[in-house]
Parts: sequence; structure tokens; C-alpha cells
Amino acid sequence: MEREQLEFDVLFVGAGPANLAGAIHLKKLAQQQGREIEVCIIEKGESIGAHSLSGAVLDPKALIDLMPDFREKGCPIEETDLRDGVFYLTATGQLRLPYAPPSMHNEGCFIISLSRFCAWLGTIAEELGVNIFPGFAGVEALYDEAGRRVIGVRTGDKGVNKDGKPKSNFEPGVDLLGKVTVFGEGPKGSLIREVGKKLGIFAGRMPQVFETAVKEVIEIPAASPFLASPFTVLHTFGYPLGLNTKGGGFLYRMKENRVSLGLVVGLDYEDPGLEPYQEFLRFKKHPLIADIIRHGKVLQQGAKTLAAGGLYTMPQLAVDGALFVGDSASMLNVQRLKGIHTAMKSGMLAAETILTAVGKGDVSAATLGDYRVKVEGSWIRNELYAARNFGQALSQKGIAKFITLGAQFVTGGRGFVDPMNITDDASTLQAGRFRPSTQVQDHDGKLYLDKLTGVYLSGTKHEEDQPCHLLIPDKELCVTRCWETFRSPCTRFCPGQVYEMIQEEGGRRRLKLTPSNCLHCKTCEIKDPFNNIIWTCPEGGGGPNYSIV
Amino acid sequence: MDIVVLVKQVPDTESLVQIAGDGASIKKDDIKWVMNPYDELAVEEALRIKEAKGGSVTIVSVGPQKTQETIRTALAMGADKGIHINDPLAEGSDSLATAKILAAAVKAIPFHLIIAGQRAVDEDNYQVGAAVAELLGIPHVSLVAKAEILDGKIRCQRAVEGGTVVVEATLPALFTTQRGLNEPRYASLPGIMKAKKKPLEAKTLADLGLDPAAVGAAHRKVVVKALRLPPERKAVRMIQAETPQAIAAELVRILHEEAKLI
Ligand SMILES: Cc1cc2nc3c(=O)[nH]c(=O)nc-3n(C[C@H](O)[C@H](O)[C@H](O)COP(=O)(O)OP(=O)(O)OC[C@H]3O[C@@H](n4cnc5c(N)ncnc54)[C@H](O)[C@@H]3O)c2cc1C
Repeated sequence: MEREQLEFDVLFVGAGPANLAGAIHLKKLAQQQGREIEVCIIEKGESIGAHSLSGAVLDPKALIDLMPDFREKGCPIEETDLRDGVFYLTATGQLRLPYAPPSMHNEGCFIISLSRFCAWLGTIAEELGVNIFPGFAGVEALYDEAGRRVIGVRTGDKGVNKDGKPKSNFEPGVDLLGKVTVFGEGPKGSLIREVGKKLGIFAGRMPQVFETAVKEVIEIPAASPFLASPFTVLHTFGYPLGLNTKGGGFLYRMKENRVSLGLVVGLDYEDPGLEPYQEFLRFKKHPLIADIIRHGKVLQQGAKTLAAGGLYTMPQLAVDGALFVGDSASMLNVQRLKGIHTAMKSGMLAAETILTAVGKGDVSAATLGDYRVKVEGSWIRNELYAARNFGQALSQKGIAKFITLGAQFVTGGRGFVDPMNITDDASTLQAGRFRPSTQVQDHDGKLYLDKLTGVYLSGTKHEEDQPCHLLIPDKELCVTRCWETFRSPCTRFCPGQVYEMIQEEGGRRRLKLTPSNCLHCKTCEIKDPFNNIIWTCPEGGGGPNYSIV
Repeated sequence: MDIVVLVKQVPDTESLVQIAGDGASIKKDDIKWVMNPYDELAVEEALRIKEAKGGSVTIVSVGPQKTQETIRTALAMGADKGIHINDPLAEGSDSLATAKILAAAVKAIPFHLIIAGQRAVDEDNYQVGAAVAELLGIPHVSLVAKAEILDGKIRCQRAVEGGTVVVEATLPALFTTQRGLNEPRYASLPGIMKAKKKPLEAKTLADLGLDPAAVGAAHRKVVVKALRLPPERKAVRMIQAETPQAIAAELVRILHEEAKLI
């Protein structure tokens, strides 16, 4: 099929904080230098911010760089008065740490809703003349004839039915060409996966690892004890995950008696019975949290992963014609649970590199490689270097975790072994350790929700009549080895109830998929022990409709 | 064939709808705004007629500044030009006043056919299309599931209980859309690029020669006194039991003793 081509100077794939900051910075720099530059951003969500979910405590240092007048420009800030409390939870009680580690200090930071923040950055970018196209997914990277240089991406076809046949409103995808393409797809990008395979950008690095969070924004009564408490930012560890599973809870104060509540679960967990969604509900039932949210109402729910591998998993940052930014390029500082500031900064450094390269008419990996030099010379590197073994320490079990953390603390991140090894999340499930997760049953439809009500409150919708976007190369494996060894963990790790194992008459099992429930968190592709799930972008515009998470 | 399509920007029904402090309107902050789905059908039908018969498609909409996004979407689908009546004095108009404004805007341009959504999904009044036709003195056919342009007239099909009615009207005429009329096209990427350069005229009430005292929130003939959200969805209860017989027995018990339905 002949496809229409549209040419730009620079093409950004994904409208997260990394690429939005990159595009804004690029336009501003070009303006200052009196240069014209055509910039385009595509985003698979129906609007900018619709697929953005985060905590989020924002360290504003990149934002200040990008836009010193961000307040005057109407930056949506939820809370500026940040007072931290770190709690260790037991099943029924809690212990407040008298001393919060320095990485947990948040003075000077703000609480934001990433969804709102990205929507706002989108309007700023548009005012600067960036061509923003929400509702368009990049489904294939395009290369030059030699297959070495990235020249753009193809957007997905729309109006294709379940069987792959065009419907009456069929709209073919187009080829977007850019002198430089910037991939800011967030964690586990579906294009960077393919680019990585082809151009080897992950070769020689440790495997990227991830954490998944279920999060809600809850409206709490004005009488909630939290609003009068000395804290606005709570972090917890211990219950319900225990000390052997990486992760923890957070609760942040927002405007209008709202709180942001979430539980982050490291995807290197071992128990195939663990269900992050149930752990989240158990977290909500813990007295510390339950007291705060009592009589509250969930306004929005969602789930997303974050790339937690850190410095040693950072891929090659530039290839001929393309750069990688944000979570896609492992810029997140897992010690601070913060990746927005580093994502934004990486986008800005990419922009500076691109402007020079495009000016010289040389977008080779060598010239674009200056981006890595810039990252190495920036505070991103300092932050990530100090945290380079932190995630690995958290992955240790029991007391070893604290000994390692202590050693890292006194040695500036080096610890006993540097680099510490990282294990691929897909390989950590232990066969035969199956213990069905404790199910929280008393859903009330308002504050404690079952998965499907949660999906409803994420605003998720997909065109129903389209090909399934979750590819399962070996369906037989699901009902044989995977069921026998792990009891189909996909039915538990997916927070959207996309996967169900059903038993048909005659006793035969069948994996039933409901792809329209997909929250685009990609946990399935990451955690599937047989690497038998491949996540691809569904028709552009489908997925969650986040606005406040 | 010059076609006018009346379009409204409405809250996405999937977005977070909350009632505002006054109890009679909704909070506008966290809402996503989209083209009224019935108007999408109207735009699509207009484009199909234009593709078959030639002519032009003009989008007309009343609303605040952000309504432009919705008009641009229609232009990106393929409409030729937009007219946006953007005047703070028009804000809060009821259906009849909205129809007066639209009729005044349409009167100023040549047209053979007007297509409107059967209703806007925000207030569900079903009035604007019919009122515009009445004010312009042209025939009106509502809830059209199929439309055919013949020589100087339009033949429409409407679903009625147990069958279909075929109605004809002479042009110029106005009809409103019913689900199933067509499958609206997507705004394509090149379409969105082109739409940026298509003419979009902004007009005020004064431009249309309208008296502000006839429209706007202060002059509503119908006043919204209160809004209430639909009852909360009750959580689903899963019946757990060993055998199908036991599940059935428990279901019957619940329906009889708790729900008191049987
Ligand atoms: C629960 C949680 C809590 C967090 N808390 C904090 C915090 O308190 N502070 C902090 O600083 N950071 C926090 N983070 C991390 C932070 O949110 C991320 O580091 C940051 O969002 C990364 O930005 P990004 O632009 O790289 O990617 P993302 O924000 O993931 O954005 C990527 C965008 O690209 C789009 N996209 C992907 N693929 C395609 C494609 N093929 N075509 C088109 N579009 C595509 C996606 O829809 C998405 O909108 C948290 C993360 C989570 C999940």
C-alpha cells in the first residue's frame, strides 16, 4: 500500500514529560537563534495526559531550567507544602522512622498530577508551534535502505476490524519522517523494543527491570485526620508486601481534599500467586491508610509501570537518526522514586544536541552521541550514579537488604559489590511456590473497588472491533506449561482483568482475553515467565483517559 | 450542494463528571471535551453527500473559545469552513435561544441542506435541530437512519416501532441523525495538518444582529434547578460455591430473600 508521507525536522514519539520538555526546549532554542524548525509529537492517548500516571512529587529543577516563569504560565501544582513521613507497616500497626533517609527529603518539591501537568505542557508546546497529534500510535520504526538509520515512524491504521479487514471508515496510517526521531515511549516501549533488536542498543547492558503501581485519586472528607496531620507526603514499606518483595506505598496530598494513593510493586517478585491489585487493596485496608480515606470516594484509578533499573541498564542513547529519552532510556532515579525531572532534563539535552546536529546537517550516531556526553556531564548522571546499586539492594531478601543499603549509604552508592547484578523480571517467579493471593472481597463500589470498577474509573475504552493488540505466539503453552508451573500468573499480575483462565465443558482450559480492558501498563510483557506476551499499540486514541492521576 | 452542519462540543461521557457547588451545573476542570457523537454522524453524512454531489460543508457551532477544537476536528475530517459564534453573552443559553443564534448564523450563508445531531448528549433536549428548522421556515425530519438526495428533495428513512417510515421533504431542509446512519471517519493526520489552514470565522451576537436580551443565561425560559448523579453502581457480588447446583441455589436464595425479586 502507498502511504502518505509527512516530513518534519524532528519527530517525537510519545508525549510524556521527556518528549514534551524536549519539544518545548527545541522550539524555544530555535526561536532564540532565529531558526525555523518543524517539530511533531505523536501520542497514542486520546489527548495529551490521557496516558500519564505518576505519583507525583516533582523535583522542579528541570522545569525551572525549561521555563523559569512556569508559575505565571499556569503550571498546575497540587501542593507546595511538602512534609515527609516514612512509615514501616506491620499488619496492624506502624512505626514512623525518626529519621527519613536524605533521598526521601522533598522540601522544595511540588505535588502534581502528571496527567494534568502533561496536558498543560501540551498547550505550551502547541503555542510554540509544535504539531501535536494525540490519538496516533507509532507502530513501526522506519529505516533507510541500508536498515541502519532511523528515518521516522509509521502510525497505526485505523478502522480495521477484528479479522484485520478494513471497515468503511478505514484510515491508513501515515509515514512520519524526521531528520531525527526521539523515542520517549516511557517504560517498555513497543517501538524501542524493535529498534533495540535491530540496532543492538541494549547489548552489553544489564536487563531493564520494572515496578508496577496501582494508583487512585481519592476524595476524602474534610474531617479526615490526614488534613490536620503534620504530613503531606507519606511513604510506607513493609506490609502488605513484606520485606522480601521490593516496593512500597505512597500517599500524597492534593488540592480540594483529594489524595493520591498508590502501591508500587517490584516486578522481580518470586511468588506466582502474588497479585499487585490485591496487595493494593490490602494496603488500603491497613489502619494507617484506612483511617485517612474512611468515607472517601475513589475518583480515578489506574496502573502504570516505571523503569527501575537505573544507570547500569541505560541503553545506548543515540543511533543514526534517533535518540532515546526518559524512562525509555532508563533515566529514572529509583532511590528517590522520581523520574519526571530526569526525563524532562534528558529531553532537553536531546533537544540541544538535535539543534546542533540538524544545523550541521549531520544526524549520524557520532554527532548525536554528543547527547550521551551531555547526560554524563549533567546532574542526571550524578543522581543515577549515587543510586546505581540501590534497586539491586532492595531486591535482596530479609536482613541482607538493610546491610547492603547501609554499606551503600556510607560508600556513596558503591556498597560491597559494584556493579551489583540485576535479574530479568521475567525469570524470577519460583515454580511450586504458588500461594493464591489473599483476596480482599468486600468491595463497596465507592472506596474499595473490584478490578472492573477500577477499569471503569480509569476511563479506559478501546474500539471493540479491532485486532487484538496483545500477541500470544504460543497459546498452547498458556494451558499447559504455564498453567502447570505457575497457575497462569497473567490472570493476577494484570491490573485490568485482561486475562482470564476459563474452563470449558469437558474440562479443557482456555485463556480468554479482554484486550479492551488494557490500561497500557505493559506488566504482562514484562512479567510473563515465558516471554509469551507481546504488547503492541492498539488503535490510536484507545486506552485510559486519565485526567487527575 | 451546500451543506451546513450544526455541531456542539460536549463533555466526554467517560470523563470525570462531578456536580459543582451550585448544585445545578457540573465542574468543568477535569472534563474532557469532545464533539457530540450524534454530530459526528452529521459531519460524516455531509461529507459523503458532498463527495457524491459536490458542493461544500460548513460547520456552525456556538460555544466558548475551546469549541474551536471541535470545529477543527470537523475540518480535519474534511469539512471546508467553520463559523464559530463565540460571545460571552451567549453563554448559558437554553435550547430555543441556541437555535435562534444558529438560525441567524445560517441565514447569512447559502445552503441547501442542514444536518444536526438528534440531541446533544450533555443535556439531552432534542430541541435545537427542530427549532432551527422552524425559525428558518424549512422542513425538518428527525432521527434519520438513512438519507438519499434526489432531485430537489431528500428522502429519509426513520425507524418506528416494528418498521421503517420513508419521508420526503423538499430542499432546503434540515434533518437530524440517528445511530446507524453511518460510521464516522477518523480525522487523519494529513487532515489535521490541512485543517489548521482552513477558514474558521469567529462571530459575536452583534455580528449576527441579535439582541443579547433574547439569549444567554439570564434569559433562559427553561432553568436548571438541580442536577443529580445517577445512583452509584453497586459492586458486583460473585457467588462462590462448589457445584453449579449450589451456585444456583444461592442465587435463588439471594433473589428471593435479599433482593425480594422472586
Ligand atoms: C506510580 C508511579 C509513581 C511515580 N512517582 C513519581 C514521583 O513522585 N516523582 C517523579 O518524578 N516520578 C515519579 N514516577 C516516575 C515518572 O512518572 C516517570 O519517570 C516519567 O513519567 C517518565 O516520563 P517519560 O516521558 O519518559 O515517559 P511516560 O511518562 O511514560 O510517557 C510516555 C508517553 O509515550 C506514549 N507512548 C508510548 N509508546 C507510544 C507509541 N508507540 N506511540 C505513541 N505514543 C506512545 C505513552 O502513551 C505516554 O504518554 C512515578 C511513576 C509511577 C508509575
